[in-house]
Amino acid sequence: MGGCACSQPGVPPALENVEVVANDRVASGVGLVVLHAPRTAATVRPGQFVHLRISRESAALLRRPFSVHRVRGERIEILYQVLGTGTRLLAERGAGEEMDLIGPLGHGWEIPPGITHALLVAGGLGAAPLGMLAEELAARGVAVTVALGAPTEERLIARDLFETVARRFETATDDGSCGVEGFVTGVCESLLADEALDLVYTCGPEQMQRIVAAQAAEAGVSCQVSLERLMACGIGACLSCVVRTNEGQKRACVDGPVFDAATLLWDRSEIL
Amino acid sequence: MREGVTHTVDMSVKLGNLILRSPVLTASGTFASGREFADFVDLERLGGLVTKGVSLEPWEGNPAPRIAETPSGMLNSIGLQNPGVEAFCKKDLAWLAGVDVPVIVNVSGHTVAEYVGVIERLESEPRVDGYEVNISCPNVDSGGMAFGTACVPAGEVTRACRAATRRPLIVKLSPNVTDVAEIARAVAGAGADAISLINTLLGMAIDTGTFRPRLARVVGGLSGPAIKPVALRMVWQVAHAVDVPVIGMGGIMDAEDAAEFMLAGASAISIGTANFVDPTTSMRVSDGLAEFCRARGIRRVSELTGALRT
Ligand SMILES: Cc1cc2nc3c(=O)[nH]c(=O)nc-3n(C[C@H](O)[C@H](O)[C@H](O)COP(=O)(O)OP(=O)(O)OC[C@H]3O[C@@H](n4cnc5c(N)ncnc54)[C@H](O)[C@@H]3O)c2cc1C
Ligand SMILES: Cc1cc2nc3c(=O)[nH]c(=O)nc-3n(C[C@H](O)[C@H](O)[C@H](O)COP(=O)(O)O)c2cc1C
Ligand code: FES
Repeated sequence: MGGCACSQPGVPPALENVEVVANDRVASGVGLVVLHAPRTAATVRPGQFVHLRISRESAALLRRPFSVHRVRGERIEILYQVLGTGTRLLAERGAGEEMDLIGPLGHGWEIPPGITHALLVAGGLGAAPLGMLAEELAARGVAVTVALGAPTEERLIARDLFETVARRFETATDDGSCGVEGFVTGVCESLLADEALDLVYTCGPEQMQRIVAAQAAEAGVSCQVSLERLMACGIGACLSCVVRTNEGQKRACVDGPVFDAATLLWDRSEIL
Repeated sequence: MREGVTHTVDMSVKLGNLILRSPVLTASGTFASGREFADFVDLERLGGLVTKGVSLEPWEGNPAPRIAETPSGMLNSIGLQNPGVEAFCKKDLAWLAGVDVPVIVNVSGHTVAEYVGVIERLESEPRVDGYEVNISCPNVDSGGMAFGTACVPAGEVTRACRAATRRPLIVKLSPNVTDVAEIARAVAGAGADAISLINTLLGMAIDTGTFRPRLARVVGGLSGPAIKPVALRMVWQVAHAVDVPVIGMGGIMDAEDAAEFMLAGASAISIGTANFVDPTTSMRVSDGLAEFCRARGIRRVSELTGALRT
């Protein structure tokens, strides 16, 4: 539904009542919430997201979009950074509490047939939507190289998952506490030179994604990016989440959040 | 709750010469043309579907960020982004051909001629059941709200649109005025069959971390529960000022809210921002309104209209 002429028909989204199974702090300011969400767990694809109603209080009215990080049986896992009202409330939710979500939503990562080696570049919480993708690629026999960046070693998100599935795993930290000292874009550049890659997938701060996309383009490798936009409806109706592309304005919630970097008109697009 | 009260409630309402099966409509710009909600809502149970604003030519809308959440509400400055009336006919109306629900097209323009142009183009489209003329959008530089904040231009647009169609003509009013009753009288006098209100209240929010406005366009329209008391007051004032039916909206989240608007004088109500929070709100409100009446022994929902005791 949603009128998107995408190559991922998928299942239509639904409203699902979910229960918190666990909610733990995984790094400073970062939590991992596990939700019992059988319908979403059975149908979500890598790169898709859910629109979560964290509170029924009307003071924080709107839902909040979060990528599905991993699926385990009937459970989905969401990695979240505590930023404002909504994520602070989310951090307070404990096991047994109920919420509802709309999902699965959006156009996720494309895995073109025949690819043999993919590079995943994540900055900070950008690791969230890349978790499911890394697992899916590995399950399909695609070699996965991961470049993960964060301010400090403690903030390297989802390191265990990536270390398990990746054939090669590199890190960059601002303080040099783990891996290369500096930005993950530096690691990306050397991996693009070193490895024979078919595709780059990236998520993180938009400025980082722009650099990664430019590096991939320079190396002649195609690149998919996952963009964040403020979202009201999450289902394609309100036009609050527009992204400028060479095919006109697109909606991040249904046409994205994943876009082929080559289609984006970065200069005029919003950077959150 | 009275024992043994099981009668069915007549949910139909009259809006001029339009008979609707339910008083629950969707508010323009919050429901697109219904397609995105088809997974959540039985569209054929709506009293009517009010489309996103349609203009003569495609409009790009405003730069992002276009929304900001505020206490119990949200600001938007979408700016009436739409692909123009031609694309609307080809895509949206074509899709709606398969859905049995009254379609009210929300019409926008920068000039009187543009409003009339949209209506003229739609007159030959059988899938259109009526028009809602938006003279109250706070998010465009010319036209829009400029027409809705003074009596003379409000009357002019209404008269010109009236001359272009015999279909039901609703005019949507802005709350950003000193005396809403005066504007209501002007558009009723110029031939409007019904009046809808309120559109969004002009507002603003600032990010104190960056010293920047939270909307790229600086100001935008406030909607949601935060505006409900203002909307209710204005619906009450307009219902007293004119003889034409009133469609009430502004922060309706549940059936109790809807009942309040009807008691204040609305013949029908629209669900806006609540569609984003819970995409099934329109169904919840329809069921809830019927239950509200049943529990009080009210046989026709239309009996609520203006039943306020003062
Ligand atoms: C498709 C998609 C997937 C996302 N996945 C994740 C995820 O897996 N983990 C995660 O932690 N976050 C994710 N986000 C971002 C997340 O939605 C926001 O961080 C969250 O809504 C902030 O809510 P809040 O109430 O805590 O903050 P608010 O008080 O609303 O805002 C605090 C700050 O966060 C910014 N912000 C608010 N909403 C967004 C947004 N949608 N995108 C970017 N910045 C925003 C605001 O501009 C402000 O500076 C995703 C966003 C999108 C669009
Ligand atoms: C995102 C958004 C887009 C809107 N677009 C339109 C529009 O195109 N035309 C119009 O007449 N009103 C538009 N409105 C106003 C609503 O139809 C409604 O009048 C207003 O939001 C108040 O109702 P609510 O509080 O229930 O949302 C829009 C409102 C929102 C929130
Ligand atoms: S969030 Fe409403 S259209 Fe994307």
